[in-house]
Amino acid sequence: MARSEDRVATRSAFTYTGTSLGLTLAFFIASGLVGSYPLAARTGGAIWVFILSMIVTMPLITSYFKKKVQG
Amino acid sequence: MATKSVTLRVEGMSCASCVATIEGAVGNTPGVSKASVNLAAGKLQVAYDPSRVGIQEIAGSVAGVGYEVVPEEVSLNVSGMSCVSCAETIEGALKSFPGVSKALVNFAAGLAKVQYFSDLTSLAEMKETIKGLGYEASEKLEGAALMDREREARQREIRKQGNWMLVAWPLSFVIMLGTFREYWIFPRFVPEFLADRLVLFLLTTPVILGPALQFFKNSFNGLRRGVTDMNLLYATGIGAAYLIGVVNTFWPDAGFGGEKAVFFESAALLTAFIILGRWLEALTRGRTSEAIRRLMALQPKVARVIRGGQEIELPADEVVAEDIVLVRPGERIPVDGLVIEGYSAVDESMLTGESLPVEKKSGDEVIGGTMNKTGAFKFRATKVGKETALAQIIRLVEDAQASKAPIQKLADWVAGHFILGVHILALTVFLFWFFAGYGLFFDPASRFLLTPNQLGAIGVFGFSILLSITVLVISCPCAVGMATPSAMMAGTGKGAEHGVLFKGADAIEATSKLQAIIFDKTGTLTRGEPSVTDVIGTNGFRQEDVLELAAIAEKNSEHPLGEAIFGGAREYGLIVPDADSFEAIPGHGVVARYRDQSILLGNRKLMVEREIHIEPLLGKAEALEDDGKTAMFLAVEGKAAGLIAVADTVKEHSKEAVSLLKKLGLEVIMITGDNRRTGQAIARQVGIDRLLAEVLPHDKAAEVKKLQSEGKKVAMVGDGINDAPALAQSDVGMAIGSGTDVAKETGHVILIKEDLRDVVVALEVAKATMRKVKQNLFWAFAYNTASIPIGAGLFYPFFKLVVSPELAALLMAVSSVTVTLNTLLLKRFSPSIKRGEQKAEPLLGEFAQVPSVK
Repeated sequence: MARSEDRVATRSAFTYTGTSLGLTLAFFIASGLVGSYPLAARTGGAIWVFILSMIVTMPLITSYFKKKVQG
Repeated sequence: MATKSVTLRVEGMSCASCVATIEGAVGNTPGVSKASVNLAAGKLQVAYDPSRVGIQEIAGSVAGVGYEVVPEEVSLNVSGMSCVSCAETIEGALKSFPGVSKALVNFAAGLAKVQYFSDLTSLAEMKETIKGLGYEASEKLEGAALMDREREARQREIRKQGNWMLVAWPLSFVIMLGTFREYWIFPRFVPEFLADRLVLFLLTTPVILGPALQFFKNSFNGLRRGVTDMNLLYATGIGAAYLIGVVNTFWPDAGFGGEKAVFFESAALLTAFIILGRWLEALTRGRTSEAIRRLMALQPKVARVIRGGQEIELPADEVVAEDIVLVRPGERIPVDGLVIEGYSAVDESMLTGESLPVEKKSGDEVIGGTMNKTGAFKFRATKVGKETALAQIIRLVEDAQASKAPIQKLADWVAGHFILGVHILALTVFLFWFFAGYGLFFDPASRFLLTPNQLGAIGVFGFSILLSITVLVISCPCAVGMATPSAMMAGTGKGAEHGVLFKGADAIEATSKLQAIIFDKTGTLTRGEPSVTDVIGTNGFRQEDVLELAAIAEKNSEHPLGEAIFGGAREYGLIVPDADSFEAIPGHGVVARYRDQSILLGNRKLMVEREIHIEPLLGKAEALEDDGKTAMFLAVEGKAAGLIAVADTVKEHSKEAVSLLKKLGLEVIMITGDNRRTGQAIARQVGIDRLLAEVLPHDKAAEVKKLQSEGKKVAMVGDGINDAPALAQSDVGMAIGSGTDVAKETGHVILIKEDLRDVVVALEVAKATMRKVKQNLFWAFAYNTASIPIGAGLFYPFFKLVVSPELAALLMAVSSVTVTLNTLLLKRFSPSIKRGEQKAEPLLGEFAQVPSVK
């Protein structure tokens, strides 16, 4: 039981962190392409996007994987 | 293995989002199939597979998100222990129970303290085990202890948030002065050093590491278990404001808005307002459940019992059935029982809502928890411990308060999905203002709402994150979550105060929507036992003579009509001697002799057979029979002497109740198994227009169904036993006059007293409660609907004003406190009959009590 829990935790952590990093990167690239934002604003914005993305994706993805494992 | 269900008491919940947090955390625990939390009752119901998960792990999941599962606690007096090893043996035995989380046996004190989950292990099982080991165990005062514990928990929360306020508010005030030092009159008295960013940092940090730390801890624990809650909104809001402040203090050129955008006051004031909100909630929330606490407070602690011919004082929970209990004036009755000696008046208002003290004499029932007023008496205990009426009522009210009303589903759904939605919204708001809004609309001269503070040189990132944080803080769905359960708690409590017990929140909601009420006739609208209604004399016999002679003839009769006549004579004050001889003639009446006079009492048949001339009385007899009464002729020495009519009489307040219900716009219907003529007579007396007569008991449910098929919400009022199928079929089944045995009753609403006006009370309480629920939901949704667009900067392009995060926190706190205070207004509610607006009208004049003699 503990092993399957660990597997769920690892898989979901990879997924939500990856998703959030993807969104953060998308933000960073978009802010570089659109307008002329200072680097600090782009960095700060990227951090905020990462935090909010993590908060949004973490519970959704964790419970998705848990439900998948529990059937 | 089969799924088990357990109900656990949870402490530390402050708003609706806590429900979603705990449900999420526990629901995600492997082995748990369902988790449902009731905020108002502070209870968590879990369905789980015991082979995969234990109670301790479930409690761990709850603790992980910052709340506490509180097991029940019992103290047992253990006698027979001779050494420390006895204590260890008992402790080991107690700990082996699956539901026992902690057991501590103190040999010196002779006391065992056990924390346990009653759904898994019962107190009786533990006592039995201790007995099996050769010791004696008796329970200490549980009800009072539970009440104290609940009060303590609430006090602890109030104290905790109060202490944090003492830190957060003074510091926030100073930080605010420092931040706004350049404005208004502040330069005259605020020292310059206070405006220094480093000083502001030093002042803000204790607020973040002290009062605000709870939000970070709880949200982190929640996130680890895949759940989001209110704490997360606060933590991201406060954390972001503080971090930007730190960056702009130490690295002002980093490009995050520079030294003018430190936001320390936002972080500090945000914390202060959120803590204020939590403190106010803890302060007011407990008051909505005051009814249950008041009921618990009625449980007396001590009883005076006569055992072995001696009067001894002992804890009330140690009284056993058949004990003889002594009660003196001014004392509370410790358990339920039957009076065996003495006379007194007992105030039962706290349990039945009956305002006048009730006389008690030998043979009368007394209820534990009620107050003895005038005399002393002895009674034999019949129900003790959890069987007493008070314990049953408490359990019923508790269960009702723990249930969820259908109207709550929407609020629960909103509150449960809100947090995630708010974070998505905050992200959207940030992206909009970052990529489009700032460039299009930003004006350096724009200000925060209600402050002179200009946004000035705030950069695109600073401005966008500010609005994003404001959305996080302003969107708290606390008020939405509290709206329904707080009002339901207050409503069920208010009902209990007046002797009306709602079995659940759904019963309140259904009662408020009723359109038709069906009353059972016998035992509900009427007393259910015949009594003398009319006495008519003829041929020189006075009415008193007729009543007396009839009573003499019937004195030894066991027929219900005979008993009614004898009872009527006694009520009228007549002394009824024995007949010299008596003979019952089945289906006809009785023949008796008294002082050499022959007395005949019976129906027409008997009179015709004995050739008695009754023609002058026939017209009156028919008129009485048209009114649904049974007329009996009396003949003395072969001559007609008079008529006596006996009927089931309507209860004192039936007519008034029907009239009040009609005024409330309800259709009132009577249902009876009797013939139409008898039914119509009673319906006419109480003012009911629609009658369903000759309906057999098992067809009553079908009649209810027929009315429901007309699209009506129907209530059935009956005695709860004979009418059980009809009560169950109706939208609201009201069992009336259950007295003290409330647990056995069928029906959704239980009316303790026989007073039919309590049906009106039930309707008025339900309507008042639902009004409160709707008002609360309106205000809560209105707050969120209005505040979110404002917080997101929807009106910024037109007014150049933004809501600061601290003002958002204040608005959020005000919304949830408003809802709770609005609910508390229900405490002032009083049913119309209690306000004395409606006065009882005697139905049959004096005959309702004592037979009148014509």
